[in-house]
Amino acid sequence: MSEHKIYFKFDGKTYGGNEGDTIAAALLRNNVKLVGRSFKYHRPRGIYTCGIEEPNALVQIINEHNEPNVRATVKKIYEGMVVKSQNRWPSLKRDLGSINNILSPIFSAGFYYKTFMGPKGFWKNVYEPLIRRTAGLGKPPREFRSKSIHLHHNVDIVIVGGGFSGLLAAKKLAGTNYDVLLIEREDSLGGILKNTKKIELINDQNPSDWIEKTERLIQNSRNIKVLKNTLMTTYNFSDHLIAVEDKSVGKPQDNEKPELVLHKIRTKQTILANGHIERFISFRNNDLPGVMLAASFEKYIQKYGVVPEESPVIFTNNSSTFSLVKSLVDLGHKPKAYVDVRDQKKIEKETVELLNKYNIPLYAKSEIEGCEGKNEISKVSIRVKKNEIIKIKTSMLCVSGGFNPDIHLFTQSKGLLKWDETILAFKPEKTFQNTITLGSVSGNFSYEKLIGEINKKLDFFEGINDLEIKLNINGPKKFQIKELWETNHAKKSLWSKSFIDLQNDVTTKDLKQAVLEGFNRIEHLKRFTTNSMGTDQGKISSINALGIVSKILKKSVSEVGTTIYRPPYAPLSFSAIAGRSTYEFYDPERKTPVHPWHVKHNAVFEDVGQWKRPWYFKKHNNESMEQAVQRESKQVRESAGILDGSTLGKIEIKGKDALAFVNLIYTNSFTKMKPMTARYALMLGEDGMVKDDGIVCKINDQHFLTTTTTGGAANVLAHMEEYAQTEWPNMNVYMNSITEQFSTFNISGPKARTIMSRVFNNIDFSNESFPFMTFNNFDYLNTKVRILRASFTGEPGYEIYVSPKHALTLWERIFYYSKDLDLVPYGTETMHLLRAEKGYIIVGQDTDGTVTPIDLNLNWMIGKKKKDFIGKRSLTRSDIVRSDRKQLVGLVPLNKAYGIEEGQHVIEEKNLNTPIKKPVKMLGHVTSSYFSPTLNHSVAMALIKGGNRKIGSQLYVSTSDLNVIPVEVVKPNFIDPKNERLIS
Amino acid sequence: MLLINCPYCGERDQSEFTNGGEAHVARPKDPDQVNDREWSEYVFVRANPKGIYYERWVHTHGCKKWFNAIRDTSTDEILKIYKIGETPPLIKRFKNTLRSPSGEPDVGSGNFTVKKP
Amino acid sequence: MTRTFVAKGMEIVQQDMQQILLRGKGDGSFADTVNKEISLLPPTDNLRMINNDEFLFAKQSFDQWSLVCLKPKPEKEIFRLVSAFNANEEILASDYSNTTYFEITGENKDHYLSKLTHFDLRTKKFPISTMAQTLIARIDCSIYHFQDKYLVTCHSSFEDYFKDRLQDAINL
Repeated sequence: MSEHKIYFKFDGKTYGGNEGDTIAAALLRNNVKLVGRSFKYHRPRGIYTCGIEEPNALVQIINEHNEPNVRATVKKIYEGMVVKSQNRWPSLKRDLGSINNILSPIFSAGFYYKTFMGPKGFWKNVYEPLIRRTAGLGKPPREFRSKSIHLHHNVDIVIVGGGFSGLLAAKKLAGTNYDVLLIEREDSLGGILKNTKKIELINDQNPSDWIEKTERLIQNSRNIKVLKNTLMTTYNFSDHLIAVEDKSVGKPQDNEKPELVLHKIRTKQTILANGHIERFISFRNNDLPGVMLAASFEKYIQKYGVVPEESPVIFTNNSSTFSLVKSLVDLGHKPKAYVDVRDQKKIEKETVELLNKYNIPLYAKSEIEGCEGKNEISKVSIRVKKNEIIKIKTSMLCVSGGFNPDIHLFTQSKGLLKWDETILAFKPEKTFQNTITLGSVSGNFSYEKLIGEINKKLDFFEGINDLEIKLNINGPKKFQIKELWETNHAKKSLWSKSFIDLQNDVTTKDLKQAVLEGFNRIEHLKRFTTNSMGTDQGKISSINALGIVSKILKKSVSEVGTTIYRPPYAPLSFSAIAGRSTYEFYDPERKTPVHPWHVKHNAVFEDVGQWKRPWYFKKHNNESMEQAVQRESKQVRESAGILDGSTLGKIEIKGKDALAFVNLIYTNSFTKMKPMTARYALMLGEDGMVKDDGIVCKINDQHFLTTTTTGGAANVLAHMEEYAQTEWPNMNVYMNSITEQFSTFNISGPKARTIMSRVFNNIDFSNESFPFMTFNNFDYLNTKVRILRASFTGEPGYEIYVSPKHALTLWERIFYYSKDLDLVPYGTETMHLLRAEKGYIIVGQDTDGTVTPIDLNLNWMIGKKKKDFIGKRSLTRSDIVRSDRKQLVGLVPLNKAYGIEEGQHVIEEKNLNTPIKKPVKMLGHVTSSYFSPTLNHSVAMALIKGGNRKIGSQLYVSTSDLNVIPVEVVKPNFIDPKNERLIS
Repeated sequence: MLLINCPYCGERDQSEFTNGGEAHVARPKDPDQVNDREWSEYVFVRANPKGIYYERWVHTHGCKKWFNAIRDTSTDEILKIYKIGETPPLIKRFKNTLRSPSGEPDVGSGNFTVKKP
Repeated sequence: MTRTFVAKGMEIVQQDMQQILLRGKGDGSFADTVNKEISLLPPTDNLRMINNDEFLFAKQSFDQWSLVCLKPKPEKEIFRLVSAFNANEEILASDYSNTTYFEITGENKDHYLSKLTHFDLRTKKFPISTMAQTLIARIDCSIYHFQDKYLVTCHSSFEDYFKDRLQDAINL
């Protein structure tokens, strides 16, 4: 052990520990036993285990993000670490919440469900806040910028666990052609070889020498990668595994480096060699600080060099505790008593001999009845005969109730279990994926048989040889156990409790009561009592609960069955799950080539899908969005405006059958359309609902260019591909997304034509040679541009398509040539306002997937002579032709001073009673609403029932302050209804 | 996370794919000739079996091609992948002899992780 | 803006390249049309790529090929090639030059990329002279295993984001 002391604080007091110590090891080194208060009864709790299975010793690390519920038995200390105990007030030793313990008779199973039923409103206002204050674990962490990353692995074999079995498996696979990943959750390999005295020699070598040699062999093999401090948490389908690596073991968190790495592993074979977990036994006050699992106690001695107590009492029902006794006596210590529930004759002779040799009192056929103490154990009661109890003073009690193969990951992999009567535990029975279990996880508790098992199970891998190994084993060679889940209370008091779930404070009495109340199915029982529902998932106790329940129900444990194990194996930090997909990388961002110009000109951006689009441009810092939008809109109608439309989806369609294909995809008919003309087109789903809209440009019958909405681009292409590939695979048609290959600018307004003529001075933009909805390609400087005469504002307008490489230059040139023409750059909000004035819809705002072209009065866009197009048949379904469907109308407030709010209800009632006593009949809702600077009043569009028949009538629109405003229903076309400006 | 064997790109992570629902739901040849009921069955009604399911996938973040797969919905096991236009292979039983991950009954989902004695 | 990213055992250099995306049946007429212009026959196996000094030609799936120019050409020449291909009415050729290219070299390139993609880069799964379309840094990318380097391409609109992710992967 290193001489260097590491100092850390626990509840304000400074302690020194050794390098490599966990918080728990360091606290035990300083003889600190009380480390927390329990969840419900606020009973004092200590360190129960020496690993991930810990139910009690949860602490909060005070650092940048105040990490709660950290297992003191896992987290390593570092210099200056600040640790606090949890769930206590005002202090750990004097905790007011422990009154719950005295009130405990009322906190029995299902207490919350039964008690806090009424009166109405009490749950939200009284009970819940009260319960939240007293119950629970640590305080929520603080927000911090995690640097956790994800790392992907593609390998052939994963070995979970670098213990004895895992090392043997790795040794066999070393040097083969398989890519192997070995995952070890602790900071060193060796597992039980390091933690116990069970194996004396391996091939006549010290176990630690053997581990070192094997590790070197693995490292030199090049085909095996070892990850330490890495916990396998998840075993998904298709042998997809997730493990989390702690990168800040034994050091404070570095804010510039990942504190956690989430390993996402895809493998062909998974070797589970993740061992076993010791379980406890329930007896009176089995939760008192000082009670510890026997193997954990031994691990503190062997791995950390800490002897928590030199003369503890040992309580067991199996043969494994031999090595604990050996570990203690080898150091010159002597257990006070060895209590074995088995008959003297059944206890292994090696154990009896060892006990005799060192004069350790053996109580055979005896059990611990309970223990006493205030904040830790002071004495234990041993029931030696039915009615005879002996009390022994001690400060620690080591318990072993047997071992469970650590089947959590195996069951996550969907494997089936089987109850094994010889080890009294569930073990893997049938694998569902490419899983191999080795060693104790497979239920093999015999070290002598281990090598045979590994040779046999790994036999099918190519290029491996049988391993031979010689073992010198300490103590009993065969694992033997007698069933014992709990012992009976001799003493009854409010304080006396026998726990089955330490973290959730579930007692054996709660289990019995729940069964009595009819919860005899294990999944129901679990939820009713909250047994094994804590952050430890009942790792040391859930099988005991099954044992107890099986006794009450007089069934075998196998019949009772287990609850389902679900990932993760142990709590997983959200920062690891999120990885880098937070803050600046929350969602990928897309920018147009003109983006730098927008930034320079004070654009405020809006997220449209992943795109950053200018929402509006601030003329000066004090300009509000409303002012900017009014200014921009007015300027477009009075002179001209330019919009960066590069985000619009663009698709190129070509092939012999392109025309037929486009005719099927869109509602419109393109057959008679002349080449080099364009058409506003609608796309429906097969259900007849509007899916997207855009402009279809026809180059010729074999070649089309279409645009889509910004957000719909990927979906529209996918929709076309789906039909081309699956419905009409024989059509000769291909489509490419060319969204990114062209930047698009929309220039519109009365002065648009002048601007265009100046920028492209070789092109004739007169109405005769360049009419509305035509397009052409032109040479421009060293490149090509395509210009389409179209408009989304109702003003004369042009769309310019140019290679993105030249986009910014062209954009700047346009401004250069329009210096005296008052050209305004505008954003999406102004675009929305301008199109609403014209009554043009936005798919996704004025439609919501339940709106047909008929509902939008866009019947003129439906190619009625076409035999078929996607969604056509649905337009004649009885439900679609109903006249009282919601239809798109325009709304104008009667009092021009009022504004209409988007999303509000359209109703017939003049007044809304407050509070509303009877349901108000709702006709529909406002889909778009803007204040028109040109008309000087609010204009809105709404989808309302039977809207077409209501044109000219008066209705009301609710407001957010529970008023209504009267509106007139009009046709949704507020400016230039005859399109005289548009086509001039 | 499934590993899906795209017929054109090979084995890839499920995150690259989109499920396209039931396969072999033919679009009526002449939609005008079918009645409302038949048409709405084509548009809206899909099978939802517990067990063997013929379904479509598209390799959205790869080659963007559609293909068919046969999957056991209760285990997520994909037994067969075949291209659009190929005759659907007849599958009665899966390689894996387990009916479902937890050996549960045909209807409902009892939680039996333990093999029944 | 071309930028270079350097880390231990890895270098990423942004490249300015041009590309044409071709769709078609891949039949004789397709091969003839293409071969006439660039003197290369389109690869017939999925994900395979071939190259000469001027072009890298990859088959992305049964009806899709990408043609990357290894040497810069005048824009007019690309336009000419596109229209020459498109003259065949069963071919769709689109100028895909507005794509962002990164050339990744060095023995640690797989390790860095494994922070950004689940894609299996092991040579036995992704041999030299093959390509793949996959997700890298959560966006659609193409990756070409060209000699001892990878050529990764993505849509230009993601350029800033993608570069930030590359730098981030190097930093962490």
